[in-house]
Amino acid sequence: MFIKKISLLNKFLIILFFILSINNSKAEFFKDISNIIDSNESRLSYGVSVTDTNMDGNYEFVVTGFGYSNLALTYVEGKLKNIIKEDIFLDQSRKTIGVAACDIDKDGFEEIYFLNTDTYSGIKKYSDRLIDKKNNNYFDLFELKKNKENLNLTAGRSVVCVDRKGDGQYGIYVANYGGPTRFYEIKNKKIIDQAENLNLNKVTGGRAVVSGHILTDRADIFAANERGANFLLKNIDGKFKDVAFDYRVDDEIQNGRGTALSDIFYRGRLDILSGNWLGYHRAYVLENNEFKDIGNTEFDKPSRIRTVISADFDNDGFDEVFMNNIAEPNKMFRIKNNGKFEEIKLEAGLEADGFGTGAAVADIDNDGILELLISHGESKAQPLTLYKAKVEKKSKYLRIKPINKFGAPARGATVTLISNKRKHSKTIDAGSGYLCQMEPVAHYGIRKNEKDFRVEIKWTNGKINFIDKIELNQTITINQK
Amino acid sequence: MKNNLFKYFLILAFLFQIDTFAEERNYHKELITDWSRIFPDKNRNAAGPKFFKYIIDKKITYKDFIEFNKLYCAVSGSLIDPRSDSEFLFVKESKTNNKICGNYYRCCVPCSCDVMKYSEVQKMRYEFTDGLQEFYVITIKNPCNKSDFPNRVNKDYFCEGKNINSKQVYNLNNRIVIGLLHNGRSCKNSDIDLVKSHQVTGEYCELRNNTPLEQLDAGMGDIFIKLAR
Repeated sequence: MFIKKISLLNKFLIILFFILSINNSKAEFFKDISNIIDSNESRLSYGVSVTDTNMDGNYEFVVTGFGYSNLALTYVEGKLKNIIKEDIFLDQSRKTIGVAACDIDKDGFEEIYFLNTDTYSGIKKYSDRLIDKKNNNYFDLFELKKNKENLNLTAGRSVVCVDRKGDGQYGIYVANYGGPTRFYEIKNKKIIDQAENLNLNKVTGGRAVVSGHILTDRADIFAANERGANFLLKNIDGKFKDVAFDYRVDDEIQNGRGTALSDIFYRGRLDILSGNWLGYHRAYVLENNEFKDIGNTEFDKPSRIRTVISADFDNDGFDEVFMNNIAEPNKMFRIKNNGKFEEIKLEAGLEADGFGTGAAVADIDNDGILELLISHGESKAQPLTLYKAKVEKKSKYLRIKPINKFGAPARGATVTLISNKRKHSKTIDAGSGYLCQMEPVAHYGIRKNEKDFRVEIKWTNGKINFIDKIELNQTITINQK
Repeated sequence: MKNNLFKYFLILAFLFQIDTFAEERNYHKELITDWSRIFPDKNRNAAGPKFFKYIIDKKITYKDFIEFNKLYCAVSGSLIDPRSDSEFLFVKESKTNNKICGNYYRCCVPCSCDVMKYSEVQKMRYEFTDGLQEFYVITIKNPCNKSDFPNRVNKDYFCEGKNINSKQVYNLNNRIVIGLLHNGRSCKNSDIDLVKSHQVTGEYCELRNNTPLEQLDAGMGDIFIKLAR
């Protein structure tokens, strides 16, 4: 009898231990593949963008250098190698911090905006660069005589591309710090600052900025600021109205950092993730014309946050949120159904001693799995790091690449995957994270037993196209008509 | 035995799930989120009363009320770090002139001195969602008649003409409630000795409270004092 009782007790303890083990399991999420980065020396870097710098159909990671060279890292022969050597691009003497790329002159090539900052706030010495390419040569549009009257000589942080009229002509919102926000567009072949005309020329401590279909069928803007309220800029016929207070995302006394658009409820709309420096991180979801913060206590825990990325790294069909902290371990959460944030314990990618300053995702090697590139710097020079999630062998993916009518990535468009399991929207990234910009592709991992796929593309003008008859494990390019 | 073990297992599994999913209310985060609602003009100088009114107008339990009231300084209007300790001090009760001892959550030590010298406490009864409770609140007299109302304080928060603006702040017997005295009770002699011998509430406050107003440069300086004296 006694032995029988012991046996039952043992069974009970074993089951209990098993349950606890499942709940606390730490299967390694990432593998560190930084060894494929060629000439990866310690450096001070900040923002990272993903764009096709040489128009060969493959994307490069464009990594800024703060007193170091800007880089354009492409995947070639199993390595990530810098492919641009021209001085105007490398620009080692300037201190580049923010970067975003988009087609501002409607020629299909994405111009690259490098935001330089040589002072913390207010007036700076060296202006920004807007890199274009002609006859296979890179040049700075701001160095043309006609554009010199509109240089940005205010310290800034992030930049985002905004197709405010939905006509495929991008403007660039420059989140300045201690001076007015700028909004650059090309008009009559000349760069002009439209910020005042568009109600955008506010002075704040600009930090992060995203743009996409947040409130309307046009490009709205969310700007996370420091020492001042955030902006939620609703697009009204191409002009903007700040509705952050009304929608409860002003977060007046916190200091904004990394931000990203994410479909937190898998319900077919973009909501907002917003990290705050040593403050509560937000997971804003829109309900009844107000954003409600649904982040749980693990997610919102204050940290030295920089970049925030929402992406499906492990192709399981659920997005992860990567939180890059500087001089503090990084964090990762999986967004489960109903907006539940489940922490994924990192080992690779934890970077407890990392001085992370920027990060971006792209399927740089075209294998259907995203790579995460992290830049470091600020107070300590460190090499770049690169991670790839460990995915299940049977995992599947689908990548949607919308191209606008001028042949450029349709940044700011929204792609929605509709299936028996979800209605999952993703933005074609116009600029996000913090100082950064992701690849202009909607990357979906596929869930178990998921079927009946349909894809909706909402272009920057609000018009919608569908893709049916979908084969998985491919990148589908869809062109705007 | 087998049945019992199964029951234990179910109970443990249930408790484990509760532990996993339970979310405690984050009072500090709520105040941060609503800060721009509490202070629409962004001026929180000496605006502890705005916090108190905002909190008591919520439909909350008594426990929630206590926790919220630990998170702002009634004197300065500053938010307080949730990990902050309180100061044990006494304040005169308006009705009896007796000393009431209790805990005061402050942003910095001068505010403890100011609350001891320039405010009074009153007993207040209030019906929370979980029942009627009685507690001591810290009050200042109606400042709306003052010719020297401090210009760095938003007068509209406090006053409607010469009257207390009851829509914006809590009016208790024609005094403005600026905050809660936690664990308030009549002082024992030993409590008074403790307060008077304390480095802050004794030595430092004696020095501060005997310093001419124009020479004060710590804490809220003279803003709260001008409002409350």
